[in-house]
Amino acid sequence: MSKPDPMKTYETHKCRLLRVYGLTEYEKLFLFRFDDPEIAQSWRFMPGQFVELSLLGHGEVPISICSSARRMGFFELCIRKAGRVTSEIHKLKPGDMVRIRGPYGNGFPMDRFYDRDLLLVAAGLGMAPLRSVFLYALDNRWLFGNITIINSSKLGKELLFAKELKAMKDIATAENIEIIQTATRDPDWGGLTGRAPTHLDKVNVDPKKCTAALCGPPRMYKSMFEQMIALGYDPRYIFVNLERRMKCGVGKCGHCNIGTATSWKYTCKDGPVFDYYDIISIPGLI
Amino acid sequence: MRYVKLPKEKVCEFLERLKSMGTLYGPKKISEKFYDFREIGDVKEVEFEYNRTITPPRKFFFPERETVFTFDTANVEIHETLPTGNRIIIFGVHACDIVGLRIMDSRFIDDLPDPYYQIRRENGIIIGLSCLPDEYCFCSVRRTDFVDAGFDLFLHLLPDGYLVRVGTVTGHKLIENSPEYFEEISSEDKDNFAKFETKRRSMFTVQGNWDDMRYRLELHLDHPMYMRESDKCLGCGNCTLTCPTCRCYEVKDLPTLDGAGGERVRFWDSCQFRSHGLVAGGHNFRPTKKDRFLNRYQCKNAYCETTTTAYCVGCGRCTYFCPADIQFKENLLEVYGPGGGA
Repeated sequence: MSKPDPMKTYETHKCRLLRVYGLTEYEKLFLFRFDDPEIAQSWRFMPGQFVELSLLGHGEVPISICSSARRMGFFELCIRKAGRVTSEIHKLKPGDMVRIRGPYGNGFPMDRFYDRDLLLVAAGLGMAPLRSVFLYALDNRWLFGNITIINSSKLGKELLFAKELKAMKDIATAENIEIIQTATRDPDWGGLTGRAPTHLDKVNVDPKKCTAALCGPPRMYKSMFEQMIALGYDPRYIFVNLERRMKCGVGKCGHCNIGTATSWKYTCKDGPVFDYYDIISIPGLI
Repeated sequence: MRYVKLPKEKVCEFLERLKSMGTLYGPKKISEKFYDFREIGDVKEVEFEYNRTITPPRKFFFPERETVFTFDTANVEIHETLPTGNRIIIFGVHACDIVGLRIMDSRFIDDLPDPYYQIRRENGIIIGLSCLPDEYCFCSVRRTDFVDAGFDLFLHLLPDGYLVRVGTVTGHKLIENSPEYFEEISSEDKDNFAKFETKRRSMFTVQGNWDDMRYRLELHLDHPMYMRESDKCLGCGNCTLTCPTCRCYEVKDLPTLDGAGGERVRFWDSCQFRSHGLVAGGHNFRPTKKDRFLNRYQCKNAYCETTTTAYCVGCGRCTYFCPADIQFKENLLEVYGPGGGA
């Protein structure tokens, strides 16, 4: 094997912002295209991977890719206005340029998802990386069995991609896809209520031949694991996508370090996707 | 391995020769109590019998602060500022610090190599130097007290000079190009080398090895030591800044006054700072001093596959330079329990 090129490690690419969609009060969806046609053609990623987005003069932030891996030359990022850099990103207009490096992280092992049912469980911003898995499954529909996606948030108006999922209703029925959207603490919400685990009885997947991808707060993982294992889901096929401060993205800067002395991990490089057995053997992961 | 002898009277001349090849750094006494690696002007300033330097040798390859690129905001263009590739020679590196550099290599020259580190490292020459431990040293239990890789030459003290181990082709070239300074080793030299090693080994305050330390630590994550000791901690980060294997860095954009350009800099960070685990929105993954304290103890005792040792090499700096007198080695022994080798 040839030696890896050190100049590729932190290599950034110029990207043009094509469109901005407002999703909720705090989240916007940004559609980017690579400026260099060669990069546009060769750049690939897997669901669950992330990029480092640079706004020169302001800094850099790690953001999960939430678009379909099949759509080449373009990618979408769902960004919450949460801090100094993301507030600046929210001010961007179509035509503005940014710099991107990546994709980084292991991503979901999609080949282990093939020929199995698929369960996606998202809470809050967790919907962003899982949308990439969902779109991947739609674009490769023949590789998957039945699919259920549970999208949850505190308030109904905070549900990410709620309209997009709702608009898929007809095709979903035809394609054996169950879409469950729930608001956990919203008295004004007309739809389903209750946390994600309470809706596990509505899924169309068979626990015994299902792969699950989860993304949300640690509390959700704990209750989901408990219920899923009780229902007969195979722990080898339960994956989570974790969030940490992934500053460099390449397992160097140390901010995303997790674990203990026997299993010291860099979320950005060893993760951000971990399986159930990682979670129970590495204290502090969730 | 090839062995040669550098007689005492030839040491200064050999250092002069090294100096002519690039920038020579070596241990210098910088105050009554402390030593540090500094550029060597006069070779007589080199301190051969030092206990430990303040800053670790990683600073030569991973400087405390560097510009990674400059940028042009309007055109969204960047200009990388790569190291120049000047030859540097670091003389007098102790065994523990050499393992420290190999640990740095394992993270910075991996499948995603760091170009800034790699370029400097490829242009560095490492000359090791034997030492005798003081009460802060515990490289023995870390299995880093004697190295078999990571140096170009390694000098072992003899009564009348040094027994030199040649570690790399670069090392062989240094000997070949300066044959007038070296001679073949005698059986007396071999005996003296063995005597020195026996003496050195007998001096450690801890014996045995700590390969199972990480399991002991993990089984007692709730040990009261962490709370008691982190209470004393000032959170100054001295332990991580002086550590030969700490490599956390922070990155910041520094725009020019008119905002038209600027530079992106990276500089050493410390997991002991509150900002280390802080993310946008105010959430902190290591919110308390105890969390950060525990984090360092776990990280330093984790397993490095390249060296098959812990990330901590037992140099003693974190204790020696701790303003709150927190005893790393003693604290680890406390969690380990009886049989830790003390």
